[in-house]
Amino acid sequence: MEELKGAIALIGYGLAAIGPGIGIGLIAGSAVEAMARQPEAAGMVRTTMFLGIAFTEALALIAFVLFFLA
Amino acid sequence: MDELILALEECDLNENAVCAPSNVTDLFEFRTPIVEILGFPITRTVFLIFLAGLIAVLLLWFGLRKGATQPGKFQLSIESLMTYIRDEVAVGIIGPLGIKYYPYLMALFIFILIGNAFEVTPFINFPITSRMAIPLFLSLLTWVIFVFAGFKRNGISYLTGIIWPPGVPVALKPLVGLIEFVSVFLVRPFSLAVRLFANLVAGHVMLSLLLVTALVSVVGLFTGEIPVIKGVFGFAWWALALAIFCFEMIVIILQAYIFTLLSAVYIDTSINVEH
Repeated sequence: MEELKGAIALIGYGLAAIGPGIGIGLIAGSAVEAMARQPEAAGMVRTTMFLGIAFTEALALIAFVLFFLA
Repeated sequence: MDELILALEECDLNENAVCAPSNVTDLFEFRTPIVEILGFPITRTVFLIFLAGLIAVLLLWFGLRKGATQPGKFQLSIESLMTYIRDEVAVGIIGPLGIKYYPYLMALFIFILIGNAFEVTPFINFPITSRMAIPLFLSLLTWVIFVFAGFKRNGISYLTGIIWPPGVPVALKPLVGLIEFVSVFLVRPFSLAVRLFANLVAGHVMLSLLLVTALVSVVGLFTGEIPVIKGVFGFAWWALALAIFCFEMIVIILQAYIFTLLSAVYIDTSINVEH
């Protein structure tokens, strides 16, 4: 049962990494499109992109930490 | 050198694919202190924390000492870093009131950057921000600053302004209030700390295990203890560790910048609450 606990934790982390993966892809894609449409706003778009990536990546990282706790 | 590399001690490549100690969290603990000063044990981690602070102070001291109007290269780089944090992060995000918080944000950025950079420096391959105490304390500092700044500027209407944003229907007020309260006052410091902590832990664990596996595989290939296929595969582990090393250099700067940026954003939502 101990080996199963580690394996289930790993599967759980894999499932939890799907959402932030898609989310960060969407954010970065929208940021690239916005920078292509209006290059003057590139600085503000870049800052907001980092902010959005940080928020969504936090969910994947919480899953990573919980994997080690189990 | 072996006693400093924990993953090297309990390494049996005939059993496991990768060299790993039985409990991975042991990679982060240093049980024996280097020296004991007045009964306070100085372990490797404590020594590295003081070293990071000292390097931060020395960088800024020697960078800004001369104050020449035609700066040399080092002064130019330190000044451009300070100008960037001031214009983009402190004043750019918070507005004209942000200059009061600029020293805190600058110190935060430099300390976290140097603490993270210890992961890739040659003889100190251990990031101090991978011990939860450092990110937790720094995020608690940010939390105290943004809560107190909000209450000092807006009084009790800070609390009602955060919990019930304008335009919430009366029937939903309890639910929205609870969600916003938990989100702003409880989740924010926690996620700020965990983001920095987990990024650095992941990098350190991957680099340690992969590099030690590569070392043991390639050395075992030449001494003949390891089957040839596993020995040659050591080069693949080494290449992967090299790629992760390059990626970690980006993560180091990015995570320090994001911590500082989010601290500035939280202070901004406290001070400039739109009524």
